[in-house]
Amino acid sequence: MDEDILTTLKILIIGESGVGKSSLLLRFTDDNFDPEQTLTIGVDFKTKKLSVDGNNVKLAIWDTAGQERFRTLTPSYYRDAQGAILVFDVSSYSTFAKLETWLNELDTYSTKNNIVKMIVGNKIDVDNREVTREQAMAFARRHQTLYIEASAKTKHGVQSAFEELVHKIIQTPGLWESYNSDNIHVNGNKNHADQSGCASYCSLT
Amino acid sequence: MADILSETVLPEDLKKFEKIYHQQLYKNDVTPKAQFEYAWCLVRSKYPADIQKGIVLLEELYKTHEEGQRDYLYYLAIGNARLKAYTTALKYVRSFLILEPGNQQVLSLEQNIKKKLEKEGIVGILTAGGVVLAVGAIVGVGMAIAKAK
Repeated sequence: MDEDILTTLKILIIGESGVGKSSLLLRFTDDNFDPEQTLTIGVDFKTKKLSVDGNNVKLAIWDTAGQERFRTLTPSYYRDAQGAILVFDVSSYSTFAKLETWLNELDTYSTKNNIVKMIVGNKIDVDNREVTREQAMAFARRHQTLYIEASAKTKHGVQSAFEELVHKIIQTPGLWESYNSDNIHVNGNKNHADQSGCASYCSLT
Repeated sequence: MADILSETVLPEDLKKFEKIYHQQLYKNDVTPKAQFEYAWCLVRSKYPADIQKGIVLLEELYKTHEEGQRDYLYYLAIGNARLKAYTTALKYVRSFLILEPGNQQVLSLEQNIKKKLEKEGIVGILTAGGVVLAVGAIVGVGMAIAKAK
């Protein structure tokens, strides 16, 4: 069943409340959209298999609540994550301005220093845009993160956001570990095996 | 792979929030925030005794702090499911879904619990019975302590 899976990757979704984190995830995992999406309690979790560059990977996605009252505990879910999606709402400048704080949170609490970060500007289907694509791209460049515009509602950009993130993770040496431990280590993981956290990760499967 | 019902809290996190809770308890001024954060850690512990303690704290919050009730119901369901008290867990899930019938997060938790129940079958039901008794006993002790005060 899982034999053809190259690895399992831990992905985080973070950002302000109401920017559409859970909606992006629901669109990605179930190709569904709930106009009455409720506020996430604490942390939610979904998995999805994805094929990128001919590699099948399983994504374990942790969708964190954006509400203030969960903030003290959500960072404990950051550990061992290989990728992080930072979401803001293009029709709300304040959610964009808060990205800096979220990047700091990641730097403080993520245990992998080469974690791949992607900023997603969500809700591009709305009319009253407050953040331009250029602004967001400049910010992403400055912070060396990927950037994608998306709409969970119309589906636009959602699949490619996850694909691009996974593509970048797979290309990052030492960030992940193949399941087949007796096989040749891919991407020079051999030298970084002690940091990759595979021992704890694999034992849980 | 760790999921919502099997991931565990880091011991240092549990200790950190335990300390805050106890400091407030000592001053006889426990905020719902501190109690919830401690309970959230407890129900994610690998030790059933911790989870049970977390459940008691959440039950108390549920009765006294209306604002966070949906959070408490959700984690009561998770705590009970982690104790394999699946029937009790489903009871909390159902109470939640009466309030928010379309909640995706809770609907998927329900599915998750049902799958476990099917897989573990009768064993789960028997354990659940035991746990209900155990929780009852803890609540009883708690009430006795409260009275003693």
